[in-house]
Order: sequence, then structure tokens, then C-alpha cells
Amino acid sequence: MSTLATLARRHSWLPPLIVLLLLGAIIGILRPSTFTGDQINIKIAAAMTLILIATGETIVVTRGGIDLSIGGILSLTTAICATRGDPGLTESVFWIGFVLALGAIVGVVNGLIITFGRLQPFVVTLATWSILEGCALTVLPAETSGVPKSWVDLEHAMPFGIGVPMILLGILIVLWAWFSRTRVYNEIRAAGSNERSAYLNRVSVLGTNAWAYGLSGFFAAAAGLYFATQTGAGHPTVGTQYVLPAIAAVVIGGTNLMGGRGSLMGTIVGAFILTLIGDVVFLLKLQSYWQWVMSGLILMLVVILTALTESRSNSGNGG
Amino acid sequence: MKRFSPSPIFLAYVAALLLFALVSVYSPGFANPAHVGTLVTLAAFIGIVAIGQTIVIVGGGIDLSVPWILNSAAILVTALAHGQNWPLIWIVPLVLLIGCGIGLINGIGIALLRVPPIVMTMSVNVITQGLLLIVTRGFPPPLAPQALTFIAAGKVGPVPIILFVWIVLAAAVVIMERRTAFGRYLYALGSNRTVATLSGVPVIRTTITAYAISGTTAALAGILLCGYSRQAYLGMGDPYLFTSIAAVAIGGASILGGTGSYLGTIAGALVLTILNGVLPIFRLDAGALKIIYGLVILLAVFIAAPSLRELLQRRRGSK
Repeated sequence: MSTLATLARRHSWLPPLIVLLLLGAIIGILRPSTFTGDQINIKIAAAMTLILIATGETIVVTRGGIDLSIGGILSLTTAICATRGDPGLTESVFWIGFVLALGAIVGVVNGLIITFGRLQPFVVTLATWSILEGCALTVLPAETSGVPKSWVDLEHAMPFGIGVPMILLGILIVLWAWFSRTRVYNEIRAAGSNERSAYLNRVSVLGTNAWAYGLSGFFAAAAGLYFATQTGAGHPTVGTQYVLPAIAAVVIGGTNLMGGRGSLMGTIVGAFILTLIGDVVFLLKLQSYWQWVMSGLILMLVVILTALTESRSNSGNGG
Repeated sequence: MKRFSPSPIFLAYVAALLLFALVSVYSPGFANPAHVGTLVTLAAFIGIVAIGQTIVIVGGGIDLSVPWILNSAAILVTALAHGQNWPLIWIVPLVLLIGCGIGLINGIGIALLRVPPIVMTMSVNVITQGLLLIVTRGFPPPLAPQALTFIAAGKVGPVPIILFVWIVLAAAVVIMERRTAFGRYLYALGSNRTVATLSGVPVIRTTITAYAISGTTAALAGILLCGYSRQAYLGMGDPYLFTSIAAVAIGGASILGGTGSYLGTIAGALVLTILNGVLPIFRLDAGALKIIYGLVILLAVFIAAPSLRELLQRRRGSK
């Protein structure tokens, strides 16, 4: 028992992984045909927007902040993608680079406002979320298809029977394995766990904020790009549907909302849990609204369990 | 203990008045009594939801469950009353109790189980939404009873009846903030939880009460809002998440807690409503409104933030 608890504490993504395996088992029993290559590609494709947007949120939450503006960046990116007409190769490369850079820049601006104004991330990013969503509605007043066909085709390509989403997921995991060992990430963690002592150890509050929110903006833009090419359409208000699930995926994945500790593996597992709950509800022939109730309950359960193990470990270790 | 600075609140009122005066000069119809009545009515809905949000934020938390508590209350009232007036005598108290109960669940999770407020209220919001949709199966309930429409949309001479309701509630909240033990506990709790606990503030009881009040005011707003729009519909509460938090932020309260007053929130609700009313006059669309909302919130938090003044004081103090 105690070894299990220690294991769960050291690898915060283990408990959510167990939940994911349970969900997988339920789906496997109810519809055994799920575990074919095609189906797995489809599931990853369905979860990928959430995974990408939650990746950025994981970094910000590890920094001890929160980023709501990712919803606005996602909306704005899909709006920009859907209004590009029929670009050639050079133009395509330019615009894809442009939206990713825009996301990163907006994120850095968030970080600067929060640091220099000594303001609460929640309110600042709530405000920038509103501004960005407003920009999205100005660029594209209503949902329309119009994402360049070449981009959509590229996203739906299946080299060697492996979907682009699966390749993206692989790249993401490899990149994270590298990033989580970098100095930048360690400083983000240090500043998230205790800003004051990190500052005294020459960790830059400004630098870590700029990196964390900048990366968050970048990944939100990547999620928007992915979403637009996946659906072939621009959705100027879709971001609203992703902000809270992104935070939920991060929290279910075992990342501490107080900062200082984060796990992308956990977040990926969390995003898959939130995506698969819909399948389970469908297969159990429940009303689709049960999806909301179940995701809320799982979220609450995970957090209560984390809080309980944490208070026990705090009182046990005594420092 | 009570760090109360009147200047941001004063500025919020000045902003509301200036905004109103400017628009009235540009478009004389803006200041006619009927239109002012409409503005006040719309501000009252934001104001009533924001009662709970103010109390929760002053106590150092946040309530994201407001939208679907409001929506549930509206749907329950219309579904139970079937358009008749007399059953409201027991339905309204019952629905307020249900709102209070959902708030209690929030408070218990946050105070006793130590779940972070964002996660707790977010899960409760999603679960409430799911349960409501399951119960109603997504069908719209019947029309709201006449009596509710009378209270929410009726007028005595040129003065909307709901203004009286709002004034009474506002007076009660301000007295509670300044004259009751609960008010003092709330500011103490929001300023510093540890210090509050050590100085004998009943932290758990205060937190739970704050969220219970928030659930009740959200339910009250839902009851009145379905009277105003003559029916309840799904999604009617969604805009109030943003506006209630924005009203508190514009009113000068820090999301960190411990500062602010409901007087400021009232000004915040007025600013938001006037901005909303300005749009059609300048032929601006929804996107522009969102951009303006975001900019106004940023401006307000910059003015209210302790960043400049306190930073200087702290530096002086430490040297």
C-alpha cells in the first residue's frame, strides 16, 4: 500500500493512466473493434487539439500561473487559417509560420503584462482571451469552411498507414523529453514552486514568465492550426470550448495547480480520458450529456485524491 | 486587517459616468429614461450574479459554477411553475435553496477537501450542466410566470422594479462587508489564509458561507432573468461567467482576495452594460465589444493593482 502511494506520488501520471486503461477496457469490451490501427489513428486525431492546447497550459501551470487566453489564440488561428484563400507553397509556409509566431508573441505579451504589472494571470489572460476572441470575430464573423485544401490534404495524409496526428504526438513526446531536461524548463519549475527563492537564486521571473506564456501561446496556435486543418473550417468562437477542458486535462494528468510540478505524459493521458469519456457514454447508450457529468466527476475525484495524498505526504515528511 | 482603498472604486464610478455622458452627447436617445431603465435592468442581472462573485473573490477564491447554477434555477422555476403565479411562493425559495446547496458543495470541496477553487467550481459547473441537460433532455421549458416578468421587467413610473431589488441587496451586502463578523473574516481570509487561521478566523465556515451565498445569488439572478426574457433557455447563464468576474475586476478588487468592495462591483456592472449599449450606436460588432471589454479589464486591473504604489512602499520599507 505505502509503496503504491509512493509510486503514485513520484509518477503523478500513474493514477490517471489507470483510469485511462479502465476506460480503454470498458470500450474494448463493449466494442472490440476499437483496437485496430484505423480506430487508434481516429482516437488520436480526436484528442490532438486538446493535447496540443493542454501542452502549453501544462507549462504555464508548472510556472505557477494559468492561461485562459489560449482559447482566444485557438479561435484566432482557425479564423486566420480559414481566410487565406488558395495559397501557394511559399505563402503556405509563410502563413503557417505567421500564426505560430503570432501565438508565441501574444503569449510573451501575456507574460510581460503579468510580470511588469505584477498582475494576476487569471484576470490578465481573461482579458487577453476576450481581446483575441474579438479579433477572431473581426477576422471571420461566422463559422465558415475555407481552410486551404492543400493544408487539409496534408493533415489527412497517411504515410505508411500512420496518421499525421500520431506522428505529431510522437514528435511532441520526443520534444518534451528534450525540453524537460533543459535549463529553461528547470527554471520554470523552480519559479513555479517558489518564486521568491527562485528569484534569489538568480532565476529570472520575467524570463520564465515570457518562456512559459510564450510556449503556451505557441502550442495554442499549433492546436488552432491542427483544428482548422482537421475540420477544414474556421471557428471564431471554438476556443471557449477548449479552455476549461485544457485546464481539466492538465489537472487530471497530475500537474499541481499550485505550480512547481508538471507532467506532459499526465496531460496527454488526461486529454485521452476526456476524449474517451464521450465514447464510453455513447457505447453505454446513455444520453450524451452524461459525458459532462462523468468528466466533472473524474476531475473532482482526481483532485480530491491528489489533495489527500499530498496532505499525508506533507505531514509524513515534515519537510 | 482590512486593506480597503477607495480610489479604484471611485475611478470605476467616474469611468461609468464619463462613458455615459460621452455617449449621451453623441447620441441623445441614449440618456432617455426608457433606455436608462433598460440599461439599469441589464446591469442589475450582472450586479446580482456578481454579489456572490465579489464575496468569493474577496475571500480569495473564484466561482466558475455561476453560469449553470443560474441556468438551472431559471429552468427549474419555469418547469415547476408551468406559467402559473401562485406556486412561486414555494418554488422560488426551493430553487434558491438548491442554488445555495450547490454553493455549499463548492464550499465543502474547497474548504474541507482542499480542492483548488478553479477546479472545484469548474467541475461543479460541468456536472450541473450535464445533470440539467439529462433531466430536461434538452427540451425548452414552458414560459415564465407573469409575476416573475412583472418583477424583472416591470416599472413603477419610469423606475424598473428590479432596481429596488438590486438596491436592497446591495445595501445588505455593503453592510455585511463592513459591519458583520463574516465581512471581517472574509477580508482576513482573502488577505492571508494562514494569518487568518492563526488569528482565530473560522476559515472553513467562512469559505463555505461565501460559496453558498454565491450559489444563492446566481440562482436568484437566474429566476429574475427568466422572468425578464419570459422564458428559460439553455446557455442563458454562459455570458455571466465572464461578466461577473469582469465586473469585480473593473470594480477594483484583486483576484488575489482581501481587497475590494461590492460598491466597486456595482460600478463594474454599470461600465460593462454601458459599453454593451454603446455598440449599436457606433455600429460596432460583437468582436469589437470583446476587444473593448478586454482592454477595459486590463486598464482597470492596472489602475487597481498594487504594482506601482505598493512596490515603491515595499522597496522603501526594506531599505
